[in-house]
Amino acid sequence: MAPFAVLFIVVFLVPIIISVRSAFFSQVPSGGGLFGGGELVDTFVGMDNLVAAASNGAFWAGMGRVVIYAAFQIPVMIIAALALALLLDSFLVRRPAFFRLSFFLPYAIPGVIAAMIWMYMYTPEVSPFIPFLPEGTNFMAPGTILASMANMTTWTYTGYNMLIFLAALQSIPRELYEAARLDGANGFQIATKIKVPMVRGAALLAILLSIIGTIQLFNEPMIMAGTNAWMGLDYTPMMLTYNSMMGEISPSGSGPASAYSLLMAVIAGALAVVYSFVQRKKAN
Amino acid sequence: MAHKRITRTAAVITVGAISAFGLAACGAAGGNDSNDDAATGDAITIEYMHRLDNGADMATVAEITETWNEEHPDIQVKTTKFDGAATDMILKLETDVKAGNAPCLAQVGYSEAPQLYVKGLLEDVTTEAEKYEDNFSAGAFAGMRVGDVVVGLPQDVGPLVYFYNEAEYAALGLAVPSTIEELTADSATAAAAGKYLTAFTSDEATHWLAAQSAAAGETWFSTEGDEWVVNAEGEGSQAVAAFWQNLLDTDQTLKADRWGEPFTIALNDGSLIGHVGAAWEAGFLLDSLDGTPAEGQWRIAQLPDYGAGELTGPDGGSGVAVLKGCDYPAESMEFTNWFNTEIDDLASQGLVVAAKGAPENSEKMLRQFGGQDVNAELATATANMNPDFPYAPGFSTLSAMNETAANVVTGDATVADIFTTAQNTAVKALTDLGLPVAE
Repeated sequence: MAPFAVLFIVVFLVPIIISVRSAFFSQVPSGGGLFGGGELVDTFVGMDNLVAAASNGAFWAGMGRVVIYAAFQIPVMIIAALALALLLDSFLVRRPAFFRLSFFLPYAIPGVIAAMIWMYMYTPEVSPFIPFLPEGTNFMAPGTILASMANMTTWTYTGYNMLIFLAALQSIPRELYEAARLDGANGFQIATKIKVPMVRGAALLAILLSIIGTIQLFNEPMIMAGTNAWMGLDYTPMMLTYNSMMGEISPSGSGPASAYSLLMAVIAGALAVVYSFVQRKKAN
Repeated sequence: MAHKRITRTAAVITVGAISAFGLAACGAAGGNDSNDDAATGDAITIEYMHRLDNGADMATVAEITETWNEEHPDIQVKTTKFDGAATDMILKLETDVKAGNAPCLAQVGYSEAPQLYVKGLLEDVTTEAEKYEDNFSAGAFAGMRVGDVVVGLPQDVGPLVYFYNEAEYAALGLAVPSTIEELTADSATAAAAGKYLTAFTSDEATHWLAAQSAAAGETWFSTEGDEWVVNAEGEGSQAVAAFWQNLLDTDQTLKADRWGEPFTIALNDGSLIGHVGAAWEAGFLLDSLDGTPAEGQWRIAQLPDYGAGELTGPDGGSGVAVLKGCDYPAESMEFTNWFNTEIDDLASQGLVVAAKGAPENSEKMLRQFGGQDVNAELATATANMNPDFPYAPGFSTLSAMNETAANVVTGDATVADIFTTAQNTAVKALTDLGLPVAE
């Protein structure tokens, strides 16, 4: 227990406490003059940072983008992951171990590298497949970039979510299938009437993780913004947070950045609670 | 989805805590070293953190410093190369200064210096630095001034210059433009032949347009009494805006990000035959033309007159500043003065030196620029830099200009809007920092 407690405190509790604390502090000039006395002091500012963060239109615009993104990306990814898991679990596929590894492989590629690979494929001048698409196809226009990023995320995480489903599917007692077959159910009916209802718990987990991950969408827009300056430095709330910390967006510093993080955590938490509540209600 | 993302913010914030531990260890080691040195005499150790290159064909910082260390047994310099972006390094230095184990010397961009000074990261070394003022060009030395305080010595500069393909110019029957009016007229001639004399590089908008505004004689940040006065939309800025707006509207400039593939493609296929760029681009701009017929055809000229005479503006560059808590500011400046005036070695890094004098031209420069005395031309540009273009704290937030510039390319904004963004962002940044600013 002791090693766990130490690690838990050092890598989990302490950073959270520091982050929450700094959301209530701001660095303000110690003196007057053009350069504020050449010294900043940590000052307790109460709710100021949080109020500023919550009343920042850019934060909510970014939040709106990730919510739209989540609304179409998560269902597509979860359904694809479930379909792949059912296929691998159905005895229709030979060498399931090979396919399991192949589907999971994109997840093993570091996010930033994956984003750069996709960037390459989306850039008209160098893309290997854009020349074969209809004239004027632009993966990085304001209207299409969310879908392009969703494609990247789906590619990366479908295999990961598939594993969650596969683990759940393989813990279903095989006797159930036998009984169903004796009752005259075919493979499709077994899948839809037994397997899918039995992985409800896994679906809840996968969707919750996806919601939390999407609220914090960062790698994809960060790489995309490198060549699409119109996206700005605050395309998603996480980018806004990062760039505030790095001094690229004013107000900057750990105070405002922590305030955004805190707000994001609260929103992600609220969405997760609402979703699991609705799910449980439905199950009952 | 990603577990990793969940903790990203926590990670950014814990970087502070973690690096504090790690650096405490390094700092302790450094301390021991200097104690050892002290035992053998009065030797001191100065740490110098930089982001300069480590290429095979250049004199590296470590190699240059070795010479100094051999000649100065009592002032030993330990160099550390920081692998990462400037913003990352600033965050690290901030943590280090708080923890009391920052290096004595660090590379600091001219536009970042005021912000770092406000944050209390830089030492006032006015007396020590001013001794060496005469060794550096006036515009560059001004870059290390924060108000009346000098925080270090300049190292490299990025005055805007004009790159052009001499052979293509001759083929079109054009002479090198000496004013933006001529450049405007020539652009029309070139466009008729399917060539571009300039590229509107929206991803570089912040420093690139600020520098052009400076070349047009503007001063963005001045003071009145005890208040900041921001003037990013003055007459000079309007002239710059009108110049580019015309080229954009008439499709007589290449609309391409500086760091994107289309720029290089246009350079390689010969449709881009001129470029308003920073002097430091000379080090790599033409690399993709090596071995092609265009190799050796390009030259460098002074920036055309933007309406303020022979004046150019600063587009990037950095100096070496003394960090808060440094025990040896005088020795640090002595070393920095020596290091920053090793112009031949620094030029081998691809740097445009801030020190006076023109370094030797490398074999590569002579080959790519057809034997032109490039470094002499760049030294002229350095000498012509607007000496009255200081930056204000919070200048890094003016990267918002890039966002507006991207919208200019798609026709959703005007070039003048970019300067409006600069004005508004700068005023907001100063206000948010709690500094007095005249509205």
